[in-house]
Amino acid sequence: MSVLQAAAIGLQKRFGRQRLRKIMLGAVPFIVLLVLWRMNTALEWLPPVFIPPIASIREAIYTLSEGCAGLGGALSMQYECMFTNHIFSSLGRVGLSLVIGIPFGIAFGVLAGMSRRFAHALEPIGVFANAISGIAWVPLAIVWFGTGWLTTLFILLNTVFWLVFFNTLLGVRGVPRAYENSVLTLGGGKWAVISQVYVPGALPSIVTGIRMSMGFGWRALIAAEMIGGDSGLGFMIFVSAAEYKIEEVFLGVLVIAVIWMITDRLLLIPLEKWTIQRWGMVWRPS
Amino acid sequence: MRRSSGAAAGGAARAGRWRRFVKGGGVELLLLILGILILWSVISRIIPNPDRYLPSPLSVVLSSYDVIWKGLLPNYIGQTLWRLVVGSVIGLGLGIPFGIALGLNRTVSDMFYPIMNFFQSISGIAILPIIVVWWGNSEKTVFAVILYTCFFPITFNVLTGVRSTPMILVNALRTLGASRLRIVKDVLIPSAMPHIATGARLGIGYAWRAVIAGEMLAGRRGLGWMIFTSQDADLTAQVILGMLLIGAIWIMIDRFALRPIEADTIQRWGLVQR
Repeated sequence: MSVLQAAAIGLQKRFGRQRLRKIMLGAVPFIVLLVLWRMNTALEWLPPVFIPPIASIREAIYTLSEGCAGLGGALSMQYECMFTNHIFSSLGRVGLSLVIGIPFGIAFGVLAGMSRRFAHALEPIGVFANAISGIAWVPLAIVWFGTGWLTTLFILLNTVFWLVFFNTLLGVRGVPRAYENSVLTLGGGKWAVISQVYVPGALPSIVTGIRMSMGFGWRALIAAEMIGGDSGLGFMIFVSAAEYKIEEVFLGVLVIAVIWMITDRLLLIPLEKWTIQRWGMVWRPS
Repeated sequence: MRRSSGAAAGGAARAGRWRRFVKGGGVELLLLILGILILWSVISRIIPNPDRYLPSPLSVVLSSYDVIWKGLLPNYIGQTLWRLVVGSVIGLGLGIPFGIALGLNRTVSDMFYPIMNFFQSISGIAILPIIVVWWGNSEKTVFAVILYTCFFPITFNVLTGVRSTPMILVNALRTLGASRLRIVKDVLIPSAMPHIATGARLGIGYAWRAVIAGEMLAGRRGLGWMIFTSQDADLTAQVILGMLLIGAIWIMIDRFALRPIEADTIQRWGLVQR
């Protein structure tokens, strides 16, 4: 008993009483769901073709990466390590689209924020490109690039670029004119205005744009991989469903959710908070 | 006499409209569209095999003749819109009460917050293959995906809205002896209104994407199905026609229905002092 009490007090000290309460309460629905899932397998309410047993999902990882030479093989992306290859392939595309999309989005956004004419030209195009939801580009992208890497990358870039562009534009427009004028009065050039005023001033908005574009882009990527891809988690789900290997489908969906929650929780939300704390408290002259 | 004054008033109204059009950047927009059309036709002239890669604007317009004449296009648009409307109405009807119910109690809302977040982060498209295995390529599948996509953002936003109501307002009513129902009706729902409107717009936006993707993957007739099958049949002109329609319809829904509603709601209910 005293061991339990000590453990409880230790946990409370470690996490704090309120957070511990939230974590434990939040875990309840997940546990209920898992128990229901387990009971479904035991009592056979729904056949395993529809809801696979939990154990078979773990096995699906092994079947997918059968013949894979351990961690080294997974990292060198051997053909046999299908499971990790699909994950790396999806993540790689996301990374590449961020590396290309964010600088271009910010650059065009700042340009459009500076020049009214440029903004007038790019804004309607962007509105329309956003309205043609990522996935509707897939058929045309397949015609242009064939199925594969380029098509999915194109869909992702299309989502990332325009959202970052719009948010940068909004951010630059929100920067008070007084700052720009003060830098100019002190003898700064155009470049100084951009690097000292526009980009820092727009940074909170830019980071929000990046987070938003990741949310939309990740969804669009999964859909694009299903229709026009030849690798990646979306492709894996789609092919497994066509072969009625439902445990692989469940595995893929869970991995998608976990990857997104980890990136959002541990990377994007802290980044957003930090930027707003660091750059967001700008004094706005009224 | 009456006729001339009517004409003058009409002329003044037209002039006013024209001025507003010019001030709002309408001329630039028209020039931009014209420029893009010219650029597009020049590119499709230069490249080899334009019918496959980038048909000219004229052939896109001409390709609509065939589908309109057969009565297919109105049918497709109607089906897609019908799915969107029915799916999002059911999503709103379920999501708003559910979100409010979850938000009433702090323990309950703390309990359901993480799991709602978890399901929200699985996109509807990702679970589409599972539903296809369950129900096949039926209408039910597409509706399930639409419902799933719009239910979770709406519920999540309503939950956040109800939770962010200042306790002082609830307590004020409580001290005055209001019942629980009264507090929900007069404090929680009005103060959650802006969040509800934002959630609805977000959810319907996701649902629109889900409709298009669901039609493509589950093979139900509609605009998404049209561009998907046209690509298979090598009719690129029809693909572009479908894309333009998808974009134009969404802009119209967003500009003339969702955004005004959201703006009005925020104006009416959003200025609560926190």
